[in-house]
Amino acid sequence: MDELKLTISMKQNTQQKKLFTFGISTLALVIFPLAWFLSQAILFRELTEQVTRNVLVLIAIPLGSTLVFLLFLGMDRLIKLVPRDSREVLEARMFVGPSIFMIFLFLFYPAMRTIYLSFKDRYSNDFIGLENYKWAFTDAEMITTIRNQVVWLISVVVLTVFVGLIVAWLTDRLNKGESFFKSIVFMPMAISAVGATAIFKFIYEYRPPPLTQIGIINGIRVSKGEECFNNRIIDGVLEGYDDDSCVNAVGWLQQRDLSALPIADTLESGGWFSNLLINLPINTMLLMIIMVWMYTGFAAVVFSAGIKAIPGEIMEAGQIDGASELRIFRSIVIPYIKSTVIVVGTYMVVTVLKAFDIIYVSTRGDLETNLLAVKMLDEFSKYRNFGRSSVVAVLIFVCVLPVIVGTALRERENSSS
Amino acid sequence: MTRSNQKWYDKPVTKLILITIAVTWMFPLFGFLLSSFRPGESIKRSSWWDAIYTGTIWSELSFDNYVEVFRAENLDRSFYNSLAVTIPSTIIPITIAAFAAYAFAFMEFKGKDILFLFVVGSMIIPLQMSLIPLVQLFKDGIEIAGIPIIPALDLNGTFVATWFAHTGFGLPLATFLLRDFMMGLPKSVIESAKIDGASHFTTFFKLVLPLSVAGIAAFGTFQFLWVYNDFLVANVFLGIYKPENLVVTSHMSQIVVGRFGEAWHLRTSGAVISIIVPLAVFFGLQRFFIRGLVGGAVKG
Repeated sequence: MDELKLTISMKQNTQQKKLFTFGISTLALVIFPLAWFLSQAILFRELTEQVTRNVLVLIAIPLGSTLVFLLFLGMDRLIKLVPRDSREVLEARMFVGPSIFMIFLFLFYPAMRTIYLSFKDRYSNDFIGLENYKWAFTDAEMITTIRNQVVWLISVVVLTVFVGLIVAWLTDRLNKGESFFKSIVFMPMAISAVGATAIFKFIYEYRPPPLTQIGIINGIRVSKGEECFNNRIIDGVLEGYDDDSCVNAVGWLQQRDLSALPIADTLESGGWFSNLLINLPINTMLLMIIMVWMYTGFAAVVFSAGIKAIPGEIMEAGQIDGASELRIFRSIVIPYIKSTVIVVGTYMVVTVLKAFDIIYVSTRGDLETNLLAVKMLDEFSKYRNFGRSSVVAVLIFVCVLPVIVGTALRERENSSS
Repeated sequence: MTRSNQKWYDKPVTKLILITIAVTWMFPLFGFLLSSFRPGESIKRSSWWDAIYTGTIWSELSFDNYVEVFRAENLDRSFYNSLAVTIPSTIIPITIAAFAAYAFAFMEFKGKDILFLFVVGSMIIPLQMSLIPLVQLFKDGIEIAGIPIIPALDLNGTFVATWFAHTGFGLPLATFLLRDFMMGLPKSVIESAKIDGASHFTTFFKLVLPLSVAGIAAFGTFQFLWVYNDFLVANVFLGIYKPENLVVTSHMSQIVVGRFGEAWHLRTSGAVISIIVPLAVFFGLQRFFIRGLVGGAVKG
């Protein structure tokens, strides 16, 4: 009889214990992170309204950075209340939980919702089927945007990889100054795309004549010829370029084709190739240069690490066989760093697909220079059409997907073989 | 390495090509930097190369533009805003990711592989994919079948919104990189700590965190530069219409797009200021940055 009572009470005891553990773990792993998130959000929202900007900044930096430790400390405290034997499991959940929670809430759930919204109308009220997708592939502006994106993808990726390879290969042959050259080419990587665009806008700058051309391309153009000067004072007289014999200044970022350039005259009479060439989107190409300028150094640095990893004996064997430098480059270096080239290519494809700042601050997507990421934001904040905006986002995602999955699979193949 | 069959001209040609490339790369920056020290009137009156050619440039150079861009343009406020956005946006994801990375590297638990796959899989989501719903989430919260899961917070336009957004976008990569790094730490050290009776919490703070400084610095530098140079997230979550909400990049975008017409003296000096911090971080922590960058090559 007593024994039965004991087992019953023990059972009750374990059940109680289980309930207690469950309660604590819910508190620690669900309620507490949520409370932390909400309190941090509300605290700083209120602070934004209450205190002056300077005080806010002063508070935001230390508090914003350290409150997250409170989350883990608090969870740890709560979990310590649980009996020792079930603590290990909870601790693991506590370590992983916030990361999973945040990725889910701020990345995964919104991404899924974007797919969902892409089937709805501009106010996200009614389902309209594939209407938005139809728009994405039939709308004239969207077709131009997609064309630009393709041009960007091909040109920027090929150019960065190509120039990057040259820089990496050449710097590797130097005895000294290697890191100096690499740093110079790599440095634009630290500059924001907004800053880089400002720098290049200064080069492409166009001012209506007879104003001085301060962009160097137009400046050189207009000062061609003996009688033409870029508004320079010579012997007290201002010498300009406002003369028929001088070359015109060109608004480079306004040129969607070659028709405004003198070269167009020679092309006009030509065959299909000239017709193709005359449609060359000058502004898009000039904007792409900004991105090439920014990212070539990255490619060079990564390639350089790849080249350094090639075993010295193989290079020497090539040299002993009397292979020329170019031959060594083609037959040894390229095959050896093929996977590195693919990684850099992937990175560049993804970066180009997300390119936003350059277009936004230069042409604002006008004059047929638009890209998907800019179009996406325009549909969202300018035209207030959430459905279409979501479709463009999905389009970016669909383009990114195969590239990254392909790389990941290849990587796995390499590591398993 | 000795290169026995190099031709005599190989070296000079290599150097010549490299110097050409380096000069080409520096050239855009040179004229821009020079112009940032010239008065606005002079920039418009004569081009900078003409000014060098005629020699007038030496008498023009001054810091006036920089003073003006701070005084009249309040760029300093945007600069502090940038720091208030960037520093927590770097530290929060690192902290959360470090804990998760520790668990993925050293702890055994149910569903570990699936959760890690979830983290790695999230890396391919471009941030454009989550932008609109995230804005809505921060404004109206989440409701499922009429029950509010997350209340309407109305966070957009505050720093908190950018912190959480950047945390979400940076976490997958951070977790992945730090776990990779922690896997490289000697397992025996962690196990001996466990035998000594240290809790996971203590092991994490006293042992693994100090050992992972290089990995954390790699991601930290990457994330810092990424957030500081970011324009899209700041544009969407802080907005570009309230001047007190501008960060350096959005402020620069306003100047560059041309609120003041041809204010090249402000554009140049402002851009140079905006470049200084990332360049300093970059040259100081180049080693780490490259590492984070190479690791981040697969980020979506």
